[in-house]
Amino acid sequence: MTSLRTEGLTKAFGGVRAVDGVTVELRDGLINGLIGPNGSGKTTFFNIVTGMIRADAGRVLYRDRDITRHAPHRVAHAGIGRTFQLCRVFPRLTVLENMLVAVRRTRLRELLAGLRDKGEVERARHWLRRMGIEHLEDAEARDLSYGQQKLLELAAVLMAEPDLILLDEPAGGVNPALIDRIAGLVRDLNAEGRTFLVVEHNMELVMGMCDHVIVFDRGAPIAEGPPSVVREDPRVLEAYLGV
Amino acid sequence: MRIASRGIPLLLAALAIAYPWLVPNYYLVYAGALTVMYAAMATSWNLLGGFTGYVSLGHSAFFGLGAYGTGLLVTRLDVPWVVALVVSAVLVTAFAAGVGVAAVRVRGASFVIVSIALVSMMNLVVQGWRSLTGGSTGLQVPSPFPGLHRGQTHMVFFYLFLALLALALLVWWYVSRSRFGAGLRAIREDEDKAESLGVPTGAYKVTAFSLSALFVALAGGLYALWFGSLDPIFVFSILIGSYMVLMSLLGGVRHLFGPLLGALIVAPAGEYFLIALGETQIHLTATGLVLVLVVLFMPDGILARLTRRRAGPSIHDQSADQRLQEVTP
Ligand SMILES: Nc1ncnc2c1ncn2[C@@H]1O[C@H](COP(=O)(O)OP(=O)(O)O)[C@@H](O)[C@H]1O
Ligand SMILES: [Mg+2]
Repeated sequence: MTSLRTEGLTKAFGGVRAVDGVTVELRDGLINGLIGPNGSGKTTFFNIVTGMIRADAGRVLYRDRDITRHAPHRVAHAGIGRTFQLCRVFPRLTVLENMLVAVRRTRLRELLAGLRDKGEVERARHWLRRMGIEHLEDAEARDLSYGQQKLLELAAVLMAEPDLILLDEPAGGVNPALIDRIAGLVRDLNAEGRTFLVVEHNMELVMGMCDHVIVFDRGAPIAEGPPSVVREDPRVLEAYLGV
Repeated sequence: MRIASRGIPLLLAALAIAYPWLVPNYYLVYAGALTVMYAAMATSWNLLGGFTGYVSLGHSAFFGLGAYGTGLLVTRLDVPWVVALVVSAVLVTAFAAGVGVAAVRVRGASFVIVSIALVSMMNLVVQGWRSLTGGSTGLQVPSPFPGLHRGQTHMVFFYLFLALLALALLVWWYVSRSRFGAGLRAIREDEDKAESLGVPTGAYKVTAFSLSALFVALAGGLYALWFGSLDPIFVFSILIGSYMVLMSLLGGVRHLFGPLLGALIVAPAGEYFLIALGETQIHLTATGLVLVLVVLFMPDGILARLTRRRAGPSIHDQSADQRLQEVTP
């Protein structure tokens, strides 16, 4: 089944065509990689898909539903979650409060429930445990290390129960051991049925983790396929690896 | 610590209830009622300002509308005062929801400007629509308690405002403990991030905006019944709106009792200067000046100073190895 499909997505900032007619299709259940040089439009692509910026042209479909121009919260309710390149948490909320912000479409009535609603807090603790940061639940998010904040960001996204998760440079700015841990988490979460689209510069990570890789250059895909194939593609070597 | 956090509010509540019987004259009852009225309004303002960080300087629009709505219902339609008060507050809340849909689209400084524009517009409308409102000469509202003398009326309204304050505090407390409240605070911290987590930020903000207008409108209605004479220039003045902002910021917007504490300081001070200096433009200027000082030097307010959390740099100061151990089981 198709998870995400875009058709001719285009977005220009002034004269710069940040995303230039992107048509891609992601299959459900895979870990997809999205690579490309800096400025090739990967983050802008994420922003369009999640409704945070409006495309000049093109369509976004998720599980065959047209979600083009939907407000970001509706995209989230449709089942797409994302993290940000520069990790974003709510600095002056506690870790647990950060976890309880997410709203699932099916559970709007939860909103009237207390912050200490047992079921939700249990769910939050479950994810914090899986990230290994459950002991920090009462700390304010700004007091966490950058790596811990990245784990918190991912945990908070999981509270919304997304089926497709977009990760923007999950390994950026974190130490090697934590990179391994994040990679392990992504694999586990994928094994449980979640689809991923991962923007990442760490080639070893991308090639080791992804089932399918898409390569962007100047706002458009120039190659895609299994990692082993993409790695040998001459256009990729030229555009990205600078060989 | 727990005894302090439970005991002090209880003690203050007892003091507040006893206040009219403790003071030597009715003037102080009047000043107390005014202070409690401002405390209720500031607490209500803080439902929007404190949770979402949207600073409205135009909340006096809801005060004025609540006042005029109640006054008009009583004088023109002969509605019982309680009904007038409630109906007017509900109408104002609905109006606020409509305004909110447009207003909360803009953030930061733009929102402040929009809120000021709102109250200026209201002022013009009420002054211009003479036939209905009495224009700049004002509207006379008969006292709901004609049997009581002026001092006794102050007592009654002291308790009515106290009940309103209790209600506003209760609602703020309830919201602060709800997931709705967590969403509102998330909007304050990072609105786009909250959206991406599925929070319908627009609906959240409009709800907070309307809720915060509700108690201000009720305060306005009570004020109309209490004073019996409405002056559009006063009830729609920027000064009343700035008071709510100043009280909240001074006391501390993140705390349940912050706006109340701010009101206990600002309202008596304002009343004192009114007596000492008479009614001049100095009030607005001084309020603005103090507001600037608070924003610059104490943006988190007095209560944040007093209850300053023990910061957690213990988490920051660890070595990379320790951090690693924390995240690796
Ligand atoms: N908000 C913006 N305003 C103007 N230009 C932007 C904006 N966001 C991105 N760009 C430009 O669009 C291009 C693609 O950027 P981006 O999507 O961040 O690339 P990547 O994530 O692949 O590094 C770059 O040239 C960048 O400067
Ligand atoms: Mg990027």
